[in-house]
Amino acid sequence: MTRESLLEKAEEWFSSQNWKPHSFQTECWHAVLSGKNGLLNAPTGSGKTYALWIGIALMNLLKTGNKKPAGGLKAIWITPLRALSHEILQAVDRFNSEFGTGLTVGIRTGDSSQKERAAQKRKMPDLLITTPESLHLLLSSKGYKNTFKDCNAVVVDEWHELLGSKRGVQTELALSRIRKLGDEVCIWGISATIGNLKQAREVLLGPGTAEFNNSILIRAALKKQIHVHSLLPETMERFPWRGHLGLHLLEQIIPVIQNSKTTLVFTNTRSQCEIWYQSILSACPDLAGEIAMHHGSIDKASRIWVEEAIRSERLKAVICTSSLDLGVDFAPVETIIQIGGPKGVARFVQRAGRSKHRPGEESIIYFLPTHAMELVEASALKKAVNSGKTEKRIPYLLCYDVLIQYLITLAVSDGFKPEVVLAEIRHTYCYRDLTDDEWQWILNFITLGSQSLRSYDEYHKVIIDEEGRYRVTSRKIAMRHRLSIGTIVSDAMLKVRYMKGGHIGMIEEWFISRLKPGDVFTFAGRNLELYKIKDMEVLVKRSTAKSSKIPSWLGGRMSFSSQMSELLRRELYLVAKNEEDTQELKALKPVFEQQQKESIIPGDEEFLIETFQTREGYHLLCYPFEGRFVHEAMASLLAYRISLLKPISFSIAFNDYGFELLSDQEVDVQEIIDNELFSNQYVHSDLESSLNATEMSRRKFRDIAVIAGLVFQGFPEKQLKSKHLQSSTQLLFDVFRDYEDNNLLYLQAYRETFEYSLEEGRLQKALERISGQKLVWKHCSKPTPFSFPVITDRLREKLSSEKLADRIRKMQIQFGK
Amino acid sequence: MTKAHSIQGEHFQFHTSGGVFWEEENMLLIADVHLGKAAHFRKNGMAVPDKINQTSLNRLEGLCQTFKAATICFLGDLFHSEFNHEWEAFKKWAETCNRKLILIKGNHDILPAEHFELMKMKVLESLSIRNFYLTHHPEEHKEKFNICGHIHPGIRLKGPARQTLKLACFFQETRRLILPSFGEFTGNFTIKPGKNDQVFAITPDEVILVS
Repeated sequence: MTRESLLEKAEEWFSSQNWKPHSFQTECWHAVLSGKNGLLNAPTGSGKTYALWIGIALMNLLKTGNKKPAGGLKAIWITPLRALSHEILQAVDRFNSEFGTGLTVGIRTGDSSQKERAAQKRKMPDLLITTPESLHLLLSSKGYKNTFKDCNAVVVDEWHELLGSKRGVQTELALSRIRKLGDEVCIWGISATIGNLKQAREVLLGPGTAEFNNSILIRAALKKQIHVHSLLPETMERFPWRGHLGLHLLEQIIPVIQNSKTTLVFTNTRSQCEIWYQSILSACPDLAGEIAMHHGSIDKASRIWVEEAIRSERLKAVICTSSLDLGVDFAPVETIIQIGGPKGVARFVQRAGRSKHRPGEESIIYFLPTHAMELVEASALKKAVNSGKTEKRIPYLLCYDVLIQYLITLAVSDGFKPEVVLAEIRHTYCYRDLTDDEWQWILNFITLGSQSLRSYDEYHKVIIDEEGRYRVTSRKIAMRHRLSIGTIVSDAMLKVRYMKGGHIGMIEEWFISRLKPGDVFTFAGRNLELYKIKDMEVLVKRSTAKSSKIPSWLGGRMSFSSQMSELLRRELYLVAKNEEDTQELKALKPVFEQQQKESIIPGDEEFLIETFQTREGYHLLCYPFEGRFVHEAMASLLAYRISLLKPISFSIAFNDYGFELLSDQEVDVQEIIDNELFSNQYVHSDLESSLNATEMSRRKFRDIAVIAGLVFQGFPEKQLKSKHLQSSTQLLFDVFRDYEDNNLLYLQAYRETFEYSLEEGRLQKALERISGQKLVWKHCSKPTPFSFPVITDRLREKLSSEKLADRIRKMQIQFGK
Repeated sequence: MTKAHSIQGEHFQFHTSGGVFWEEENMLLIADVHLGKAAHFRKNGMAVPDKINQTSLNRLEGLCQTFKAATICFLGDLFHSEFNHEWEAFKKWAETCNRKLILIKGNHDILPAEHFELMKMKVLESLSIRNFYLTHHPEEHKEKFNICGHIHPGIRLKGPARQTLKLACFFQETRRLILPSFGEFTGNFTIKPGKNDQVFAITPDEVILVS
């Protein structure tokens, strides 16, 4: 068949489904058929799968002509979420069988069974749907080059999700290898709208590469109107100043759920998800059987059941987390409820887009604020959603940890030649500026475990064979490496199972280890009694107990994007000028009045500092409204600079609005002003010194150490004897600080702290902005509404310039018995 | 650098390194050195800095110089795991240190007996001296006072304005003293003391009684 007749036939297939292809779809088909690479900017539910798969299928049909296509892998579809793979498979399968492409499709993710993997090893499907991690696992198997030799297309779905993470770097590395192994591989990304689409394409294809020069950006011009409704309390008097659950508005969401076909209720954390599920059920028992829960820790089978049930309209509501952010086209979903601030415009727009998945229809999203200040966010979001402005996803640069993991992966399978790999990775966005010295350091690190050969050393990982190939020969090391591939670092997880059988999900070990047999906890919407932990499984039985413990999953502490921060400041400036223009801001009037009684609402010319004393000590609060990452950095910077003036100890808290320095000594704000402690001079070196005194880099190092294979987390299910090889990353951080402070991985922890917290110099810009503002110092008689959410935060950094022994003398022991 | 302390009428000095000097016995007590841990990691492909071991040995030597003890008694977990070259470094030190060496076996001490015999180190499950009962794991003894290691005790202190600190410590209960771990690259386990327990926190310059 000719190219034209194939394209015609594809359009016919579309008509037979009573569809009409969008112009972005036909554009993609043409582009793929003419061998182009590219980035498709299209939202979920727009038919993006058909835009690229049809192009790729036709390209393959054109290649084979009238012959039956030879077996083996032709194309790879990378998706960030396992949950999405079935959706893609179904869409692709439908086209394949009805069109008669003769192409097969399979899934390979962490959920695939040993049997499926083995079958794939014998015969790969034509299209493999997989995750970045599983793709790297393929690169770690012997003879992988053969697997990829006929591969001619790679699609990276939801590229915006991967882009700003180390999984994005993993994807860049896999692409750098596959494009060399395959047969004229064309590479495509699919991304929702983000602020840096141009850069997204560059990262995907490699800056200045031939692939990049032969690429295009295709935009699906599907404009969707979003309608935001805030759920407001009847009266503001009892509306809390802090808190993150939002249950006081429970009554208001029940009618929303009842009046809509299907509603998705988005929460920010898994524990919030569990609590809301329970609360809705007890407030409205009629909904039993009609509502369900969906989050990342729930068993895969239950998650798939929930997804199916949404599609077949069997559910009124699903309480979920970001686990349902992406993909999965749910036509019956009419309404979205967002509980708590979504922290960013892009995320909010994406969630809103989950409803009314039909082009042209308006999306409706309800926003439920969990505390007063979030109403300001609601007001800001309302204006932002239809403005088309969204955040950037900043790609990671020079991740030594991911590179080390990748090199070991190649060494585990067929071995690698350094010059070949170096040439490949220098074409990636992440490693284009990798210096020769850094490269040599990394090679030394994996072969010698240090930078010079020591005679007694028994370090053993990668060896160099006679042909100059870098290889892993130890089976033990190879196995441990394969088990550790990935860049998502999490606590050890245990399976939760009923005593009589039946899987419920996975739970973090640290949570379960604090429970005794007989304790009741809530998980997957059920109250469960812990019976015992056996063979790394948590055996439980159902409980009728009323009270229970709810696992709190870490994470969920996202920061405001700079867009969001700016929007928020703009709303507050309106309030300062008494120009409240939305119902949210008007509803907040009593709270603002309270704030103004003790303090002020800063306008755009002012920078507010509040001080007051409580039983806890002396509080100093600053409100830059720049998001928690910037506040974390600014707080330690200020604390450090004050600590140079006199011996003093601080406990530091921060949220998206401001930060607090708490001390047992009073800080003279005039001294801060006189000494220009908000100066934007010497920020880098001061911050570096303050970082040494706090835990920020230590936390970053945790991920780096795990990714680079410096710690082995142990794998409960695999029952490896690894006890003597376990250490905490904290300990390791100290060891590097004391013995090897020029280690690139240790330095990377600092660099990531800077880059992440500063986000392209956000701190610097914020300080510049502040330097142009008038510092307004208010000494208050009690905590203000602005300060309340910050001072009640328990998660704190510490910074001190007092002598250890002096600090100890002020302290008390924590008695346990 | 040291804190004098008496238990059951006998005299001890708690040192900032985590070692204890027992005056009546002229004996140094040291728990959980975990020598060879770095090399064990390195052998398994984890590139931990390899200078850790030498620091532990230097500190050991320093302690010997300070106290001139006749005997050194290790309260278990002297060597971290299977044999590696870091044992040789220890052996070299042991041969020249000119002191009587005793090891009370800990759960990590899995080296074959001949390694200890070669350096004339006495290996015991426990050791009774007058009113004292020395072990690796904490034990309850009907008559005697137990001195042990294994736990790696650490203490969490809470101060005004939400200040907290975590430090390694000596932990003394009514009938037992638990030593901190002596080794580098070993962590702490936070203990929850009772009202009658005594906790001696360790700082770089002094040992401070905090309860």
